Amino acid sequence: MTAGGPPASAGATTPARPGRPAGRLTRLTLVILEQSRRLTGPVAGVAAAVVLVLILQGNGFASTLVEDALVYAIAAMALDFMAGYAGMVSLAQAGFLGVGAYAVAIAENHFLSPWAAVGIALAVVLGAGLALGIVAVRTKGVSFVIITLALGQVLYGLAFQWTGLSEGDNGITVASLPAIGSFDLSNPLTLRMTVLAVFAVTALLLVLFTRSPFGLSLRGIRSNEQRLAALGYRTSLHRYLAWVIAVFFAGVAGILYVFVQGLITPTTMAFSANGFLVVMVVLGGLGSIWGPAIGALVIVLFQQEASTYVTRWQTLMGLTLIAVVLFSPGGFWGLVRAAGRRRDALITRLRGGPAGENGPATTAGQASGAGQAGGPLALETAHPGTEPRQTP
Amino acid sequence: MQEFIAQTLNGLTLAGVIFLVSSGFTLVFGIMRVTNLAHGAVYLLGGYIGYSVIQSTNNFFLGLAVAALAMGALGLGLERTLITWLRRSEMAELLATLGLIYVIDDVALAIWGGNPLTVNLPGFLGKSSTLPVSGIVYPNGRIFILGVSVVVAVALYYLLRRTRVGAIVRAGVDDREMVGALGVNVRLANTLVFTLGALLAGFAGVLGGTVLGLYTGGDSDMLLFALAVVIVGGLGSFEGAILGSLLIGLVVDYGTAYFAAFAYSVLFIPVIVVLLVKPQGLLGRQGV
Repeated sequence: MTAGGPPASAGATTPARPGRPAGRLTRLTLVILEQSRRLTGPVAGVAAAVVLVLILQGNGFASTLVEDALVYAIAAMALDFMAGYAGMVSLAQAGFLGVGAYAVAIAENHFLSPWAAVGIALAVVLGAGLALGIVAVRTKGVSFVIITLALGQVLYGLAFQWTGLSEGDNGITVASLPAIGSFDLSNPLTLRMTVLAVFAVTALLLVLFTRSPFGLSLRGIRSNEQRLAALGYRTSLHRYLAWVIAVFFAGVAGILYVFVQGLITPTTMAFSANGFLVVMVVLGGLGSIWGPAIGALVIVLFQQEASTYVTRWQTLMGLTLIAVVLFSPGGFWGLVRAAGRRRDALITRLRGGPAGENGPATTAGQASGAGQAGGPLALETAHPGTEPRQTP
Repeated sequence: MQEFIAQTLNGLTLAGVIFLVSSGFTLVFGIMRVTNLAHGAVYLLGGYIGYSVIQSTNNFFLGLAVAALAMGALGLGLERTLITWLRRSEMAELLATLGLIYVIDDVALAIWGGNPLTVNLPGFLGKSSTLPVSGIVYPNGRIFILGVSVVVAVALYYLLRRTRVGAIVRAGVDDREMVGALGVNVRLANTLVFTLGALLAGFAGVLGGTVLGLYTGGDSDMLLFALAVVIVGGLGSFEGAILGSLLIGLVVDYGTAYFAAFAYSVLFIPVIVVLLVKPQGLLGRQGV
């Protein structure tokens, strides 16, 4: 999948020399570059959609892989909404995915219809998110990570130890899937297309959220919460909302997960699973929504396929995460954005504009994301000196 | 009643192991603001290394020493490389240590396999004695762990309260910029504390391996305990780590013994209460 494409490749093959009068070749390059700026996003999106639909039509390995990846992508994108925009990195996201999955499975095993089970699962996840959010959102930054880690382990502990409800290590199977007339999720193709549709709706909703005033206020909270609070924003309410949204979509992913897998076990909620979701987000790119979807595909591919060839794939994954944090804090999407910025700079230069200045058309997303000095990893604690300090 | 006393002793033993792990975690956070998520993995790796040394040399104390020194060396190496490279952002450090967990766990899995292992105690420590007054028959090994953790706690207390290094560390916890501005070599203090924390974790791994066993996932269990301790006791507070360890150790043990289905959830009750009442922890300072 190459969503976003390589926007700079067109420019890379035709190096431009500054200070030269615009020849025909330069004008042509300029046209290509400007068109690519306009078209890369939509074209890549349509191409990705077509490729996904084509793969999911099949019945083989690739379609199973993409299906699993899409389920995780929903949870990962929602986590990114909270982590990348509001600076709240949660290590409980897989836990809430498990809550959704277990709620469906348990409700069905208590002889409820699949649709009722889905409704109950959504309500349970929402309730859990609302209740636990009261505790989690009281903390920020590193403390938030620690609290959510503990929360995630408690959810895992319930799934693992509360055997009367969860069947412990054996997990719970789901026998029947929701259906209305000819729309029947027990048909694998219908299920796969439904997963794709839910993924698409989630992605679009999250992108809409990030572009809304609410999303902007979250970014403000990430960079400087005090200032936003001083402006009269109820920052804790904003963070609470971001948390509830992220948890809700984790639950949605969980419901799809249990329908796709037919089984939910505590391993799905273990610490390493919570970590996997964070890895997906960081590898894909914090604060990009689309990046974590690619991260999910990569991690699921590793988990399911590379594990047969590369026995120590977790070592590889851990080292990759460390390398990304060290050398490319924006993750994969950060590279895409950097390529986009290089293209914009090239356009400016070819037009004969002042060198070194950002192109006027730099979009808001590019300017706010990887444009900052520290990148998306420079969360609220990048400036230790500006932390509130009330030591007597 | 006898069973309750035995459970309480078990809880105190667990508290001892948890203290050895969490004191290093909290001091590292206190002076460096580094959230080392790999601290639990260091604990488990130390336990595995100790296990192998003890298996091949049949010398428990040698295993204890080698594990502690090996993990101390690992800590020193990490502090001088990864942690130093990432000083610009707390979140970057945290994420890098998350990556480290996968690496350490995977390497441990490759070397020691997925089956649970137990570190065997030598001779006298492996036996049980009848305790005075109560008449409970209790394993000597657990009493040993309890004694060792008390000795370490006293030694650390002395180090922190009565020595120059300790004064620097305590001052660093309160205001590390100021300490640096006064011309103190904070860099060296960081390295010392990080190394000491890893050393204690490796040491605790061998002790914990005798009573809790060494198993895949044992690291995240211990990390959870250590995190609960620092939330309850207060991030960066040494006394908080003692208090928190006692509380968490007892709660986990009673929880496991009396509410098996909710052992982890019971653990969360003190955490929630403290967060709601005193978010900076029982003995934590504001702003830390």
